[in-house]
Amino acid sequence: MTTVTVKDQDPYGHGIGGWLSHVGAVLADLPTTYRRELTLHRRRTISLTVLVILLVTYPILNSAFLAGFSRTVFPLPLPDDTVVTFMMIFGIMAIGLNIVAGFAGLLDLGYVAFYALGAYTAAFLASSHWGSISIVFLANVAPGFPGIHLPFWIIVPVAILVAGTFGALLGAPTLRLRGDYLAIVTLGFGEIVPVVFRNLADVTFNFSLGPINIAAQHLNLTGGSLGINPIDAPFLPFADITFNASAGYAPVYLGMFLLVIAILFARNLERSRIGRAWMAIREDELAAEMMGVNTIRTKLLAFALGASFAGVAGSLQASYLGATTSDFFTFSTSILVLIMVILGGIGNIWGVLLGAVALTYVDKTFLPYIGQQVQQIAPSFPNPAQFNFLLFGVILVAMMRFRPEGFLPNRQRAAELAGAHTQAEVEAKVDEIVAVDAEAEVEAAIEADPIAALENLGPPPGQAEASGDARAAETIDEAKDL
Amino acid sequence: MSLSETGGQPAANALVPPAAGDAGMLVRSRGVTKRFGGLVAVNAVDFDIPRGAIVSLIGPNGAGKTTFFNMITGFYTPTSGSIEFDGNPIVVKRRNRIKSLRPHEVAALGIGRTFQNIRLFGTMTALDNVRLGANVHLKSHWWDAALRTPGMLREEAENREASMELLRLVNLEDRAHAWARSLPYGDQRRLEIARALATRPKLLLLDEPTAGMNASETRDLTDFIRRLRSELNLTILLIEHDMRVVMGISDRVTVLDYGQVIAEGTPVDVRRNPKVIEAYLGRGATDT
Repeated sequence: MTTVTVKDQDPYGHGIGGWLSHVGAVLADLPTTYRRELTLHRRRTISLTVLVILLVTYPILNSAFLAGFSRTVFPLPLPDDTVVTFMMIFGIMAIGLNIVAGFAGLLDLGYVAFYALGAYTAAFLASSHWGSISIVFLANVAPGFPGIHLPFWIIVPVAILVAGTFGALLGAPTLRLRGDYLAIVTLGFGEIVPVVFRNLADVTFNFSLGPINIAAQHLNLTGGSLGINPIDAPFLPFADITFNASAGYAPVYLGMFLLVIAILFARNLERSRIGRAWMAIREDELAAEMMGVNTIRTKLLAFALGASFAGVAGSLQASYLGATTSDFFTFSTSILVLIMVILGGIGNIWGVLLGAVALTYVDKTFLPYIGQQVQQIAPSFPNPAQFNFLLFGVILVAMMRFRPEGFLPNRQRAAELAGAHTQAEVEAKVDEIVAVDAEAEVEAAIEADPIAALENLGPPPGQAEASGDARAAETIDEAKDL
Repeated sequence: MSLSETGGQPAANALVPPAAGDAGMLVRSRGVTKRFGGLVAVNAVDFDIPRGAIVSLIGPNGAGKTTFFNMITGFYTPTSGSIEFDGNPIVVKRRNRIKSLRPHEVAALGIGRTFQNIRLFGTMTALDNVRLGANVHLKSHWWDAALRTPGMLREEAENREASMELLRLVNLEDRAHAWARSLPYGDQRRLEIARALATRPKLLLLDEPTAGMNASETRDLTDFIRRLRSELNLTILLIEHDMRVVMGISDRVTVLDYGQVIAEGTPVDVRRNPKVIEAYLGRGATDT
């Protein structure tokens, strides 16, 4: 919706200056946009605003008022800073996997590989692992300290590059594969990468090619099953903030910052020619290619860009925890992220975010809490926290039965799954999805201004239909613009 | 719907390809053969399409028409032979191996097509279907998309405008935001043409465009195809079973049977050709 305002004024400008002025214009228009949204969808805008404010202030509120109660008083325990940070990390991953699996329709079961690559990038570039050398650059350690110590702000782009490159490398051999075959190959890659990291702790080789000779004796590349630690925490120089596990809510905001950028990037990609090409490939690869879409490049791009999000998440996770081992990166993590995407609503950025937040909460706060309670009552009973994947499996099966499109479905996917074939069916389906909102909106209107609302209610039938159509068109437009 | 009603609309000038220079052949194919195992689907076909012409490819079911289409568009690689489009080889020989351009490269050269059984992107909107067609002409990269750079925004706005123009051309502008799959059959056919036009083709391949249409819809579509040729300077290759369409619209007709060209010429010549009557037209020729 922001583009429209800019288009009306026209000047797209050129180069960086044009881009900056465009971004400036969008930012300057935010109040206007917000006011318009407030008049158009009052109830929704208000509830979203409250939600955003609650989410953004939650870590502060949590530390100020709720921390003491968080795990005991509430019937539902509140997540602590660590869990919220992991919500951000998994949110970034879910958004990345959504690009591959949701937009382009390529099932990737080895997504954890890129998470691992991001984490190990951080481990290699910000720890004392390479103890025989010392490179310290803009990092929070004394000069001459053993190991490579680069700041987090450099590691993130490097992790993006590394994960993206490997994403393309994984994508390359799978380009002609579809469905089950693609899933199996990606699954293999997801298994290989952590195993490589686990086993490259003691490398001895002697390699000769003509005059070239490369040899190593007992080279410890990856720290083996112990992994690498400690890893430098992200550090903000001027504010003097260290974003590690003992820094309270600071890491939450670092994660939130990266997550917001991830959301913006993913949304922008979705709404571009790249996004259209991905969706076309998902719909009908052959027709897409006949219409001039370079399917190989477009699919590689999906793999690479999707992987780079996991690279960011991985480097954040390793830097935040200060340690990494290959045990973090098991197949179950791939599956967990995939469940987040499917539960939340595959293809919809907000849906997969919701999936990430909800599942992280269940996995890291709710189940351990229930486990604690059960252990207190019946110590011999097996801890329910160990049955997390059983629970996820049950949830997934239930979702497939009752709401296969996910919590916050992508409209296209929802219609596809509901088997809607005609415009009427599609609109009915969309209406059904937004019906709850609409009802709530009317209620809110009555609440806010009873007389005006009553006057607005009950227009002549024709008019009602027209406004209904306008509403449907608006909804679809919105779906486009969002 | 009536396509002729849009006659007053200005043609999408931005979509007219560079004017055809010489009046030579746009497509030149020599000895094109395609074998599937033991089956020879297309056998040593020489087939030329003059610039600006409407050429029909007809023949009984299984005669190899769609296979030939698929070779022009780079979807199949011929077993042997050569195909040239607008001076560019579509099939090239490299180290004794025949290689075909990939379909998206062929599309970039200027060949747009529709499909026998409609293949729209069902859950993309009509507008997005058309916008996708222009994909090959969009220059912005993924980083432009991610950052929404000025150049990308301008390109997107232009693309959107041009796509709306095309939707107006096929009378679908009021369905721009409806999903392709939700459109009625006839609309889907026209949307497919609009999508093909968005690739800014010099040659438009229509695979049974009037299949499943009633008489008046067929008439409208025939008028529309003629308009495309005259207003957009297109060359059109048609696979069609409806003989009224073929005879009414074509400058030249080529008849395939068992993968071979059995007749070629103006509709009148072809209609009189005894081989054609025997192979395929038979009753249809005597009726009309």
